[in-house]
Amino acid sequence: MNWALIFSNGLYAAVSANAVAYMLIASGLNVHFGNTGLLNFGQAGFAAVGAYGIAIPVSQYHWNPFAAMLVILVGAVLLAVGVGLLTLRLRSDYLAIVTIAIAEIIRIFVNGDHFKWLTGGNDGLQGFTRWMENASPFSTNGVKIWAQKIDGYRLWLLVSGWILLAIIATALYLLIRSPWGRVLKGIREDEDAVRSLGKNVFAFKMQSLVLGGVVGAIGGMWLVLDKQSAQPGDFATTLTFFAYTMIILGGVAKVKGPIIGAMMFLFLFTWVDSFLREATKTSAGKEPVLPKWLITDNNYAQVKYIFAGVVLAVLVAFRPQGIFGDKKEQAFDVR
Amino acid sequence: MNRTHIRLIVRIWLGLMAIVGVALSASSAANAQDTGGTITVNVFNQTKDAKGVATKVAVPGVTIKVSDDTGAAVTSGATDAAGKVVLKVPTQTKFNLDLDVATLPKGVVLASGQTEKAVVDFTVGAGIGGNKSYNYFLGKDDRLTTGRFKLLLQTLVNGVKSSAVLAICCIGLSLIYGTTGLSNFAHGEIVTLGAIVTWLLNQEGPKLHLLLAAPFGIVASALAGMGLERGVWRPLRKRGISLTSMMIMSIGIAIAVRYVYVFMSNSKFNRAVYYRQYHAQPEWSIGPIGINERDVIVIVMSVAVILAVSYFLLRTRQGKAIRAVSDNPDLASATGINTNKIILMVWALGGGLAGLGGVMFGAAHGLQWDTGFNLLLLLFAAITVGGLGNPFGALVGAVIVGMATELWTWVFPSFLEYKNAAALGALIITLIIRPQGILGRKERLG
Repeated sequence: MNWALIFSNGLYAAVSANAVAYMLIASGLNVHFGNTGLLNFGQAGFAAVGAYGIAIPVSQYHWNPFAAMLVILVGAVLLAVGVGLLTLRLRSDYLAIVTIAIAEIIRIFVNGDHFKWLTGGNDGLQGFTRWMENASPFSTNGVKIWAQKIDGYRLWLLVSGWILLAIIATALYLLIRSPWGRVLKGIREDEDAVRSLGKNVFAFKMQSLVLGGVVGAIGGMWLVLDKQSAQPGDFATTLTFFAYTMIILGGVAKVKGPIIGAMMFLFLFTWVDSFLREATKTSAGKEPVLPKWLITDNNYAQVKYIFAGVVLAVLVAFRPQGIFGDKKEQAFDVR
Repeated sequence: MNRTHIRLIVRIWLGLMAIVGVALSASSAANAQDTGGTITVNVFNQTKDAKGVATKVAVPGVTIKVSDDTGAAVTSGATDAAGKVVLKVPTQTKFNLDLDVATLPKGVVLASGQTEKAVVDFTVGAGIGGNKSYNYFLGKDDRLTTGRFKLLLQTLVNGVKSSAVLAICCIGLSLIYGTTGLSNFAHGEIVTLGAIVTWLLNQEGPKLHLLLAAPFGIVASALAGMGLERGVWRPLRKRGISLTSMMIMSIGIAIAVRYVYVFMSNSKFNRAVYYRQYHAQPEWSIGPIGINERDVIVIVMSVAVILAVSYFLLRTRQGKAIRAVSDNPDLASATGINTNKIILMVWALGGGLAGLGGVMFGAAHGLQWDTGFNLLLLLFAAITVGGLGNPFGALVGAVIVGMATELWTWVFPSFLEYKNAAALGALIITLIIRPQGILGRKERLG
């Protein structure tokens, strides 16, 4: 058992550029769900807009990446407004089903063969990260911290990602504390009361959708910059529900919630996976640590997903405010 | 050293540079010629017999055009008797292939999932000796051999088939929503369970005939539903946990259970697997439509089950109690109905029907670890379109969603793979026009 590798894998997963991407996606969702009480099940759709918003223009049409980021911004705003117009007048469980449907429509579209010339279909898109690789100040050899090797490009994404996250999280913190953020909280607690104070609830919900959607799209962009490949499978509904798990784990409605939650989730998720990979490995004729009738190197990879699902269910049932959350500030009575 | 010397040195240096430059560009030109490549294109007509065994027949005389990245034409050629054409290209970079559809023989088109345009990229994955190959597969052209009207009849039959399976699966989802208010995202996994248990008894272990194995699958699903109600939902309802929490919990359970299936089966269900019976049956031609024994059984059985469930809900004491709880749980329990008992019955009934639906779907399309999950959104679409909580609305919704997906393939044959998106689009449109669904009660939904 290579314990150093198991732990360093887990720790790296908790802070890597991939983790930053999840933190952004979950932070956006937290604005919807935690702060406003909107049960958005389609955050994967916003992330997909961010991912393909950078991948299609840069990879297929050789655009300037900053122009592509403008596409992401416009795309995410349009999607949020579209989702809002369709769903904001509906009850929350309808909203959940419609948002999940919209996210799936986006995934089916980018996955389909008919638009393969544009979206790359099932193979996805590659070759849109050259500008980011060129901007990297680190040597491509990267570094080795403990047992974890990090290449130069990933290290650059990690550092720049955390700076980006710090800026966005500070902005969100200030917005949520502002009078505007307090209206959102009011909508979550009692929509009618806020309405009776003369606030335009629909407009506030729409602004919340746009804000969270744009943050989620930036997260989606970071996700594919890290993977160097945009693939439809990464934007299935599981992405949204992992983001929910992270938010609830870290504490609903807190800006630090999704950040801490994502770190804990990804650490555990990767730790379990690395541990089982080591424990099921047959090396130099030695039997693996765990018995073969129980688990093999063929099926250990599923355990982390089972674990993630159980964590989500158990948390919601027994500690809906999460590890660091405030019991008064949970958004589960939205209805 | 005076100025003339310096000038001389500069001139000599420039001259040397020029020579080196020319030599370099010449050598790179020579390199470019060496690095030219060939693209081998094969065109096959692939047909499958009733048992699903594929045979490939070469198709000659099909023109393939090659263009470079900017779209400028590079070369073109037609396939020989072996269905093959070798095209020379000047560089080993990225090229676009374009099959001229007009040169295809009558009666064949590109197989589904194939497009006339393709990309060959020498920079990705080395080809042997600068050669890359690409295969086009063709299939029978239904649009040419069958009239559009005849195809519509066939599409409607397929629609009935899809609707039947959806209807069986979504009655339970609708009843559970009606009686408990829970949008159960784990319903798809109950569907998969029935299909898997049946498959295990049918293909492995006792190797029972499908019709004998199916009841075990149905019972397993019913027990799973009852187990979830007794073990999870009833205790949580007692604790007064909100419906939103329960919905998110059901998602967690669904994710976990789905991967338990993969884990336990050692990835056996990662690709579609089939039952021993009723797989790849020959079609009977009834006039313009083709249908096989399995489809007839599925449709007849669904109609019979739906009639039986309707009778149960409308005429029997227990069925009436279910509808009463669905209407107003508090009032129902005030009139002496044991709501918990009724809800348990709903889970057993809904779970069993979901298991049956899973077996039907598995027989028709094969089953996979995420079969139920892939059906789930269509099921939600069906019950929402029909009116949440109303089991008869669910039936209407299932017919609309099933027909919509199949008719989509008739109206837009080249957008076949987007048919599920069409169903979800139908869901969204319904909610805008009539948010309570077709048979739903009008209530404030804002």
